[in-house]
Amino acid sequence: MRGGTAMAVPVLAELSALEKTLGLPRSNKFSALAGERLIPILQTNEGPRLVGLVTIASYLVKQAKREQLLGTSNEERAAVQQWLEYRVTRLDGRVSGEEAGGVLRELSAYLQDRVYLAGNRLTLADILAYHGLHQLMAALPLHEKERYVNVSRWFSHVQQYPGVRQHLPSIVFLKNRLYA
Amino acid sequence: MAVGTLYTYSENWRAFKALIAAQYSGARITVHSVPPHFQFGQTNKTPEFLKKFPVGKVPAFEGADGFCVFESNAIAYYVANEDLRGNTVEAAAQVLQWVSFADSEIMPPASTWVFPTLGIMQYNKQATEQAKEEVKRVLSVLDAHLKTRTFLVGERVTLADIAVVCSLLWLYKQVLEPAFRQPYGNVTRWFVTCVNQPQFQSVLGEFKLCEKMAQFDAKKFAESQPKKEVSKKEKTPKELKKEEKKQEKKKEEKEAPDEDLDECEEVLAAEPKSKDPFAHLPKSSFIMDEFKRKYSNEDTLTVALPYFWEHFDKEGWSIWYAEYRFPEELTQTFMSCNLITGMFQRLDKLRKTAFASVILSGNNNDSIISGIWVFRGHDLAFTLCEDWQIDYESYTWRKLDADSEECKTLVKEYFLWEGDFKHIGKPFNQGKIFK
Repeated sequence: MRGGTAMAVPVLAELSALEKTLGLPRSNKFSALAGERLIPILQTNEGPRLVGLVTIASYLVKQAKREQLLGTSNEERAAVQQWLEYRVTRLDGRVSGEEAGGVLRELSAYLQDRVYLAGNRLTLADILAYHGLHQLMAALPLHEKERYVNVSRWFSHVQQYPGVRQHLPSIVFLKNRLYA
Repeated sequence: MAVGTLYTYSENWRAFKALIAAQYSGARITVHSVPPHFQFGQTNKTPEFLKKFPVGKVPAFEGADGFCVFESNAIAYYVANEDLRGNTVEAAAQVLQWVSFADSEIMPPASTWVFPTLGIMQYNKQATEQAKEEVKRVLSVLDAHLKTRTFLVGERVTLADIAVVCSLLWLYKQVLEPAFRQPYGNVTRWFVTCVNQPQFQSVLGEFKLCEKMAQFDAKKFAESQPKKEVSKKEKTPKELKKEEKKQEKKKEEKEAPDEDLDECEEVLAAEPKSKDPFAHLPKSSFIMDEFKRKYSNEDTLTVALPYFWEHFDKEGWSIWYAEYRFPEELTQTFMSCNLITGMFQRLDKLRKTAFASVILSGNNNDSIISGIWVFRGHDLAFTLCEDWQIDYESYTWRKLDADSEECKTLVKEYFLWEGDFKHIGKPFNQGKIFK
């Protein structure tokens, strides 16, 4: 699907936002393949075309020399990969209804004793999961946000992490619970 | 950005606050915690120090520009940056709220509960139980607050997190075992995240959460009290010097009663970081604990000794003969026994990796102390810790060839407390086991 501005395609907007988050000059040109879902493509200067969100995002992180965002130990790197995969296979295309509830339940249980998805610092996994959940969280009524309190706490933290939010609107969370 | 010198004793959790803050802000702090720059109890009592810091307590901070400030929270505030202090008046007020909370709500019950487990304060059941309840209350407050929040104030680490984490360090290290902390999952999540931030890690090292609640350490407490019955004559110069220091401190205490806590904290500060000095050695097939169980519970001659020789790993362990160098100073046998048990107490931290049978031979005014020691590795571990050096210099140490007949005989005689003890030439009087 060529044509149309990049911003009109969410996944391309996301990659542009990630470039800014990483402090990269906007020299990369993204496009998207139309299919069942939109698959982003990046034509690199020297080498091959890179296809797919996770591939391109990881490439951008390395380009920005922010490798710690991919994890600092073997276990952490594996965990980051796991959540990047989760983003694509589990979050994309499931932003409403029954499936959304399942995702939120899963994440809330996982985040009960964690601040970040992988390790003890913000990683690319958090950034991409934040983008992947934004639409869902924006539509969530307040009592649902409280129901999935761990997701809300995590989301609220990630969206306020310097440089992460970019073009996306800030979502309001109440720290003092109303429906406790 | 602050540049200057921080005076403190080492491993002071109050000083940690400033040091962690400096990791975030980039403030350049030189730490003076050991001689010749700083000696706790001496340097901070000199007129020169008191002129700059009239309270005479540490941590105390002196800027490169001559600016002086004491009280740990004030120092942390000074070396911090805007983000840590709170960017708005409201945030700054909340930071101050939690910093004060740490001092007034957490520290008192935490000290009451934890200090006896470190053997630096007498145990009082009622006080400890009350302190536990207080700690539960404080953790509930934190847990409710952290349910919807990642950090205490705003979405970033602030001085609030630094102060409250530091006030909880000893609780999480000593007594908050998994079952106890289970209801406060939000607090633990936040705590673990904080101590694993690189800025915390570079000051605290790897932090390990408590696995089993520590109980009152009566032995260590008794050991830290001044002894009465041991005569000065039997003490090594080092020990005497220590005693003198203690007495000096006693005098000061009378003048300033709240020095008590500081002394506790000094002992607390003396706790070595939990690192294994034998970590560099290859794994050994000889399991010391297993042998000790056999020795304690089963017959020595028919079970423990055969077990020892069957499993002893002469690459990973060594056997030593030690003999007291000043037998002419040994007078009353009970005093000599105190000398042995005192040594065992001071070597407490070696228990996991050592075993010994030390015996007193002969009678009043004609006795000798000797022993067989089994150590991890092939070097004497005593130099690793100051406490361990007190006694070892008073003994001659000889490594035995584990395969030799002499070694087999000595091990048998000392483990059994029976035999000829030919090399001594005096009858067995009594023995003590280090295990």
